[in-house]
Amino acid sequence: MELRAVLTTCPYCGVGCNFIFEVLDGKIINTMAAKTGPSNAGSLCIKGWSVHEFIQHKDRLTKPLIRRDGVFKEATWDEAYDYAASELLRLKDTYGPESVAFVGSARCPNEETYIFQKFARAAFGHNHVDHCARLCHAPTVAGLAVSFGSGAMTNSFAELEHANCILVIGSNTTVSHPIAAKRLMKAQANGAKLMVADPRKTQIAQLADLHVQQNLGTDVALINGLMHVIYKNGWHNRAFIEERTENFPALAEMIEQFPPERVSQITGVSVPDIEKMAAWYAKSQDSAIVYVLGITQHTTGVDNVKSLANLAMLCGHIGRPSTGVNPIRGQNNVQGACDMGCLPNAFPGYQYVNVPENVAKFEKAWNAKLSGTPGLTMVEQVEAVHEGKVKGLVVFGANPVVSYPNANRVQKGLEALEFLLVLDIFPTPTTALAHVVLPGASFAETCGTFASSERRVQLVREAIPPIPGKYNWEIIPELSTRVGYPMKYASAAEIFDEMASLTPAYGGMSFPRLEAEGLCWPCPTPNHPGTKYLHKDKFTRGLGLFQAIDFRPPAEAPDDDYPFWLTTGQIFSHYLTGTMTRRCPTLHHENPEVFVEINPQDAARLEIEAGEKIRASSRRGTIEVKARITETVKPGVVFIPMHFLENAANRLTNAALDPITKTPEYKVCAINLAKAA
Amino acid sequence: MDKLRAKVRTLLSEGQVAGYLGYLIKDSHPLPHLFTPENLEEVDQAVVAPDNARYPLDKLLIPLAERYPEAAFAIQVRGCDERGLNELYKWGQLDPEKVVPVGVACTQEQADYCECPGPWASVVDYGEKCQPVAKSLRVEQVATLAEEDAFQEWLGAFKRCIKCYGCRDVCPMCFCKDCSLEHEDLMSTGQLPPDSIFQLVRAIHMAGRCIDCGLCEETCPAGIPLRVLYKKANALVKDLFDYETGSPTAGPSPWKMLGEEATLETKPM
Ligand code: SF4
Ligand code: SF4
Repeated sequence: MELRAVLTTCPYCGVGCNFIFEVLDGKIINTMAAKTGPSNAGSLCIKGWSVHEFIQHKDRLTKPLIRRDGVFKEATWDEAYDYAASELLRLKDTYGPESVAFVGSARCPNEETYIFQKFARAAFGHNHVDHCARLCHAPTVAGLAVSFGSGAMTNSFAELEHANCILVIGSNTTVSHPIAAKRLMKAQANGAKLMVADPRKTQIAQLADLHVQQNLGTDVALINGLMHVIYKNGWHNRAFIEERTENFPALAEMIEQFPPERVSQITGVSVPDIEKMAAWYAKSQDSAIVYVLGITQHTTGVDNVKSLANLAMLCGHIGRPSTGVNPIRGQNNVQGACDMGCLPNAFPGYQYVNVPENVAKFEKAWNAKLSGTPGLTMVEQVEAVHEGKVKGLVVFGANPVVSYPNANRVQKGLEALEFLLVLDIFPTPTTALAHVVLPGASFAETCGTFASSERRVQLVREAIPPIPGKYNWEIIPELSTRVGYPMKYASAAEIFDEMASLTPAYGGMSFPRLEAEGLCWPCPTPNHPGTKYLHKDKFTRGLGLFQAIDFRPPAEAPDDDYPFWLTTGQIFSHYLTGTMTRRCPTLHHENPEVFVEINPQDAARLEIEAGEKIRASSRRGTIEVKARITETVKPGVVFIPMHFLENAANRLTNAALDPITKTPEYKVCAINLAKAA
Repeated sequence: MDKLRAKVRTLLSEGQVAGYLGYLIKDSHPLPHLFTPENLEEVDQAVVAPDNARYPLDKLLIPLAERYPEAAFAIQVRGCDERGLNELYKWGQLDPEKVVPVGVACTQEQADYCECPGPWASVVDYGEKCQPVAKSLRVEQVATLAEEDAFQEWLGAFKRCIKCYGCRDVCPMCFCKDCSLEHEDLMSTGQLPPDSIFQLVRAIHMAGRCIDCGLCEETCPAGIPLRVLYKKANALVKDLFDYETGSPTAGPSPWKMLGEEATLETKPM
């Protein structure tokens, strides 16, 4: 008889809620919000409360699979390792090491991701390792790194409750980061002004004191307009600009060209609303900015992020409690995966590969020959597959066939691979194309750490033993060893210690120190308390850098053939590609199938009725969706959630990329709607 | 704590119970824990839940009792938890013969915060009895509002609901296999906020069942004053049926009059 309460960290979004698994005689029977969790303080969202529903699901992959002549056969671990290793070695010998690329995960614990990128870099001697932060917040990392010197959420969740004004832009907070929305609602109850800029009338927009519906892809113009008003009225923070920033004149010149009237024309936001937003943001004592993928998933993603950084610096709303620029991460460990160097241009801790000292440091630590040339990003990897340069792909806990834009092209690419190795916990459209599938252990079956959005590194604790019989951190070293780069670890803690010794921001962390509340990086020394908010007194890069950013329209705009603006996103009961959430009965009950949100005016014009099946098509593909007629979207704009792989919204989306980070423009493309025959 | 631990040690070592459901500081957090005779030494670490880390132990006991129907269990209870046990006995979810309460008396501070009319258990193994709070000022405050104003205020609060179902999932009294909040005829699905009757449907179901532990309100990310709603519902049940929810002597729940099955059709007047 054994009933255990196992405290652990949520595997979904980047809020990093803590909860308790109730484990009765070796079976997880329930999930309970942890009262003492630092970021959730006793709350969870619907996904969190239902987490136990997928872990022991009958669909879990439990045995390695090898596909020969088109059929999958169960294999022993040894057979799978041997076959995978021989194929990887064959590709390496035949086409060179650069013919094998690696896709990591923003879901798995830091320890697994750390050894995954180490495996790619040390065993293959290149940097073709990336993960899906590319698809969401790479512009955050790139943009904020240039402006401030560090690409992470500047402040912590709890602080938001004490802000006097919060600008939420491109974030459907109650849906995608529900427990961050708790803080926003708390702030409002404490008297803060809540402003939401979102093309859709989301729940948080309805709760806001002011909601503006900017046209899709016009954020830079809107933010420049706000800065124009602030500067003209003298509401900017002169002392802050003088002491803490550089390059202000260039910004001043640029925002001069964005008077409210022009901005109103571009964005569709009224002049009085622009003025009100500017006044509230600039004149409140502590104003914070919260943003998510509505800012980053654009061809102007980096520009959008830099613009928000400009705005915060203009008013000096950064470097203090309850202020800052706060990107909330979509995935539990996307922050960690970036920290761990699952990026083609950086070793762990953002130690860039093109700096020879960094290469030397890791060569010594890992005892391997490493490359100083940045590798291919995810989307570039797919292009390289099409060009025949990449012949093999190792995918660790990711589902590119559904999550990448222009899914049809991705699928063709993966089909053309000579060897595809995928590790996952459930069968997915990506595992279906694999030559070897390895069954993964879920977060409930391992120890390790996740780094949440607020840079908080928290423990994940083993509730039940791995369902497939092996920890993921045993699988990678085994593979690595068999392809000629030996690795062996006795525990996740041992991996963490090695990583921390090489990653300055994690330098002072260890499993025992993380027990109570985790620690927010940077935490460089064993007695450092961690860092609640960044850029106090000094930006990571020294002076904050203003950058003049001009407005560029989105890559694709509606025309006669494709007259609707399509934007994509999440819905409250599902998460990403739905492999986990759609297997949870509670979540499935809320949203069993894909739909399109369409304004009543458009529906009337096209004679579409609620619940009717309609065809949505873009230049890239067609899907069938059910009509949901709602004022949430403006006329001319439609919304399709991304979670439903049988009708994936990404068959429609545009793979046009941000020029710097290669993040695709998921948030805007042109489509057509027609009654299904 | 010594008294409590001594009692638990006796219960376990003498085999009066198969386990004690209480709290332990584990991984630096106070967490629910099942103490068993096999690990008797753990009892030295047994604690009373801090006020800010109360969990629905009654709810944890249900699957445990279901799995081990022959076994008896001791369980840490505050006043509300014990009211919960009493209701669960009535609803056939637990067998009073198989449950041994280990009682806690709450501090005055906690009783005031909860506006609790019964802030201690029938046996007190930890703490001193304090002044109970007979009246809920929060409920009275709502009563002072004009009806329309009160209505608007509630609707405003309901609009913040993110449909996490936390109020239900944390509730020691929510044991139904089919939940009316998910009934297709009662509640639409798929959207935020949910229908504004969401909280009202729950309030109706909680009338005469809510034992006023307040865990729902504590978990609610939207800051909806759920407890006020249920306190009011219980007050109505008291007025209409003279039923004191959670009292061991109040007789069967008034809802038992509905019979085993209730349908959604309108009933003849
Ligand atoms: S808000 Fe995010 S971290 Fe919290 S329970 Fe929901 S998905 Fe998990
Ligand atoms: S706990 Fe609050 S937010 Fe969650 S479902 Fe209940 S009322 Fe709604």
